[in-house]
Amino acid sequence: MGRKEDNIERAVEVMRVRDKIRNLAIAAHIDHGKTTLSDNLIAGAGMMSEDLAGKSRVLDFDDQESARGITINAASASMVHDVEGTDYLINLIDTPGHVDFGGDVTRAMRAVDGCIILACAVEGTMPQTETVVRQALKEKVRPVLFINKVDRLINELQIDGPEMMKRFEKIITKVNKLIYTFAPAELRKEWQVDVKKGTVAFGSAYYNWGMSIPYMAKSGINFTQIFEYCHNDQQKELAKKAPVHRVLLDMAVDKLPSPLVAQEYRIPNIWQGDLESDFAKSMIKCDPDGPLSLMIVKIWMDPHAGEVAVGRVYSGSIKHGESVWALGGAKAERVQQVSMMVGGDRIAVAEVSAGNIAALTGIKSAAAGVTITRNKDDTGFEPIRHYSEPVVTVAVEPKSMKDLPKFVDALRSLAKSDASLQVSTNAETGEALLAGMGELHLEITTYRIEEEQGIKVKVSEPIVVYRESIEGDNKGRPFEGKSPNRHNRFYIEVEPMPDDIIKELRDGTFGDGPVRTKDAKSTGNKFGEFGMDKDLMRKIYAINGTNVLINDTKGIQNLHETRELIIEGFNDVCKKGPVAEEPLMGVMVRLVDAKLHEDAIHRGPAQTIPAVRNSMKGALIRARSVIFEPMQNIRIDAPNDVIGGVTGELNKRRGIIEDMPVDGGTASVIGKMPVAESFGFSNSVRAASQGRAVWNTENAGYVHLPRELFNKVVAEIRDRKGLKSELPGEAQYMD
Amino acid sequence: MTADVTAPGLWLIGLGPGNLDQMTILALKVAKGCSKLYLEGYTAILPEEEEARLEELVGPWEKIMRESIEFPKKILDEAKSNSIGILIVGDPMQATTHIDLESHCQEHGIDFYLIPGLSATSLAVSLSGMQSYRFGRQITLPYSYGDYLPLSPLEIYIKNYKIGLHTLMLLDLDPSGMGMKQPKPMQPNEVLYLIEKMVQKIKDEREGFPLLEIPVCDWHAILLSDLGSNNQQVFAGTLGDLSKIESGKIHSFILTAKFTGMEEEAFNRRRYLA
Repeated sequence: MGRKEDNIERAVEVMRVRDKIRNLAIAAHIDHGKTTLSDNLIAGAGMMSEDLAGKSRVLDFDDQESARGITINAASASMVHDVEGTDYLINLIDTPGHVDFGGDVTRAMRAVDGCIILACAVEGTMPQTETVVRQALKEKVRPVLFINKVDRLINELQIDGPEMMKRFEKIITKVNKLIYTFAPAELRKEWQVDVKKGTVAFGSAYYNWGMSIPYMAKSGINFTQIFEYCHNDQQKELAKKAPVHRVLLDMAVDKLPSPLVAQEYRIPNIWQGDLESDFAKSMIKCDPDGPLSLMIVKIWMDPHAGEVAVGRVYSGSIKHGESVWALGGAKAERVQQVSMMVGGDRIAVAEVSAGNIAALTGIKSAAAGVTITRNKDDTGFEPIRHYSEPVVTVAVEPKSMKDLPKFVDALRSLAKSDASLQVSTNAETGEALLAGMGELHLEITTYRIEEEQGIKVKVSEPIVVYRESIEGDNKGRPFEGKSPNRHNRFYIEVEPMPDDIIKELRDGTFGDGPVRTKDAKSTGNKFGEFGMDKDLMRKIYAINGTNVLINDTKGIQNLHETRELIIEGFNDVCKKGPVAEEPLMGVMVRLVDAKLHEDAIHRGPAQTIPAVRNSMKGALIRARSVIFEPMQNIRIDAPNDVIGGVTGELNKRRGIIEDMPVDGGTASVIGKMPVAESFGFSNSVRAASQGRAVWNTENAGYVHLPRELFNKVVAEIRDRKGLKSELPGEAQYMD
Repeated sequence: MTADVTAPGLWLIGLGPGNLDQMTILALKVAKGCSKLYLEGYTAILPEEEEARLEELVGPWEKIMRESIEFPKKILDEAKSNSIGILIVGDPMQATTHIDLESHCQEHGIDFYLIPGLSATSLAVSLSGMQSYRFGRQITLPYSYGDYLPLSPLEIYIKNYKIGLHTLMLLDLDPSGMGMKQPKPMQPNEVLYLIEKMVQKIKDEREGFPLLEIPVCDWHAILLSDLGSNNQQVFAGTLGDLSKIESGKIHSFILTAKFTGMEEEAFNRRRYLA
């Protein structure tokens, strides 16, 4: 007991000694032992009982993560590590291991300066790990390598010394190639990992031992002895002589940068504001007395304290009771409590200073990715995103209506903590639509509602979110849409947006929502920089997702004052296209002419909005509507003898196999599969491979739905939504 | 009238405002002669007690809303071989919407007949004490809808004011903006609020737009409530004073310009004393 409290006291002391701090993450594939390793680091540093380590998984708050053996969200833990009599503070941020939760990884990486790449000695690095490492390198996070599960190599696979070296070399070469390709050019040589330089360690997180060249020198243990310990079932003793936490934390202290060093080169990379400002200079210097800058990495629900926001302080200090701005929020908010995270424990402290990880309560408008400052005009770390592209929806409702208020609250905080989740609720029926990045993402979300909030829910079958778009245009053939009173007419032409602009729109380069009149010029110029017609784009009215509305009319009296209504009509059709009421994607909508009643009362919302809707829907049909379906990249690894069944399963599901590399006894299938075909894939792959296949996916954007499936898919959607089975033609929008 | 009152076709019949006693004898005769009667219930509304005695005067009727007027297929079909009357509060052609019915009938080869009624606008001018030849373009003040708040009514008023003309201002009935729900006539306090919002918006959007120097609450105006009904009221004063009036159901305003001749005295005679 005493050791833990003592450690907390020491942690608070080291916190202000900036060159004695290391912020790090572990990048790993599912099942490669990340949680076990994290727990051993924490236990080793005296923050939890050593017997529990490897079993309790402090960093996984959610029971479900343990059950599924994957880590869902980034949490953090601080620990004190002593190197030759000097205390160091190690802040460990957990990273999610599943691709479905993309934004979380970037944010976790932004909050750390170094990362331990965890590779499995048996399986090597996996695509998942590579994705995370790529992300880390992009954020200028320095890597070191830990090769885990060496005990299995020795005991199960009976490998000898030279063969082990060969395996290590292969893994190291692969990691270095990755670093060379994705690290910033000026660092890619310096950052190569090397056994001799002590930036590579190996061992067994499960049996709690580790080894590196520097540690071999220090401890006098050599390879032969390691083999002996393993063969003789003496790994516990090895763990006493070479505990994994000591080896890895020594490596982190020695090889990974402190915030004082790292922020100097990282701030210009991860923060997009004016580098000459005092705010930037203070962050670059990691100044604990400068203006406050803190980025929220994650929000989690504490059963007692409510929403807890965890984030990295880049400049200044965050203090208990002070008033701060969550950028994008409506008002300043008071910090109720500032704490350090120690696994599952939150320890209240008076303040947390630059270079550290803090946990905050009381900031209601905090959400993952939001920057906390003292001045509301400061520049944050990421733009406030309004746009994400969910590909799967389920309808969820509480089984008992008495849970409705609790259910609504639970959804609200879920939406806040997970930027890739879209929640829309029907206040009357209590039914909520959850839209997310995949079947698994939504399964986990509903699980959290049931287990964490104790609300039993009914969940519908997952539904794919398709996109509507066009394959042609109706340039020169505008579609006339009339208002119900026939006194107002709008003429619209549509055309597909170029693919590269769609990508930029998706990334939020041009923002989202109505464009203010005074901003239209600069927004238009920005489109100009990407090769669009600048003069045309300066007439922009609004952006909705990847669709753009342009007022291409000239000198129409009173058009300006119906602007909001025209935008609303446009937004309506962007949300529900003409073919199947699915969201619209990648369309440039040009209003080319309009006839308006001279009296405002006869061109109000009831007139203008339907007229614009009709005109736009008719134009889309005239330009030949098409459906796009979401795809996912997929990688399956399985033993050679069952791979045939796996590829068969993929073929049945309109999958495309792009590559099938074979590596010893293991074959991989790399390809693409439509999300629509992916439901239940887990079970069928398990059956086809006798449970021996490992697979994962990531979203791969939208592709044209094959023509021959168009009618079938559209009919299914229309039927599900209760629409007339007959497809609307142009005539339907003429009156 | 050139046609027989029972001739098939579409008959637009003005009821006059507020009180069925304002109906002309001709309107009454035509209405009774129609084989089917509708009451148009959204461009203007009849007080409840008047609606209750409508059947006694003209026979059975049915209420129709925006949908049926803007997409009048059913009514037009009926009017091909029957005499169909649409009863409209006030004067039919004062509402722009109804001119559309005339063109629908022409397109479908249906006979169209018009029976004018006494309109609230002519009553308003008559009861205000202002000279009828000193009115500029009439405006309707719409409810705002999200960020949507048209400014052209304000611009028209300012134009009228600057050339010395009064402005008759009718008020929106439909806060939903969609013509779906039960109409809800705008009240005097909402009028003040909306005009102030418009002034603010015009200041935000257009630099150098020539506004009136007078604060909105000091604008001179005449409030006309429940015109034509037994509860009819006329009050003159500033918009600030008039906005405090809570009596009355359906209102319209005259925003006055500079007075000439006897107008100022007429205004003072009607002045509202809180």
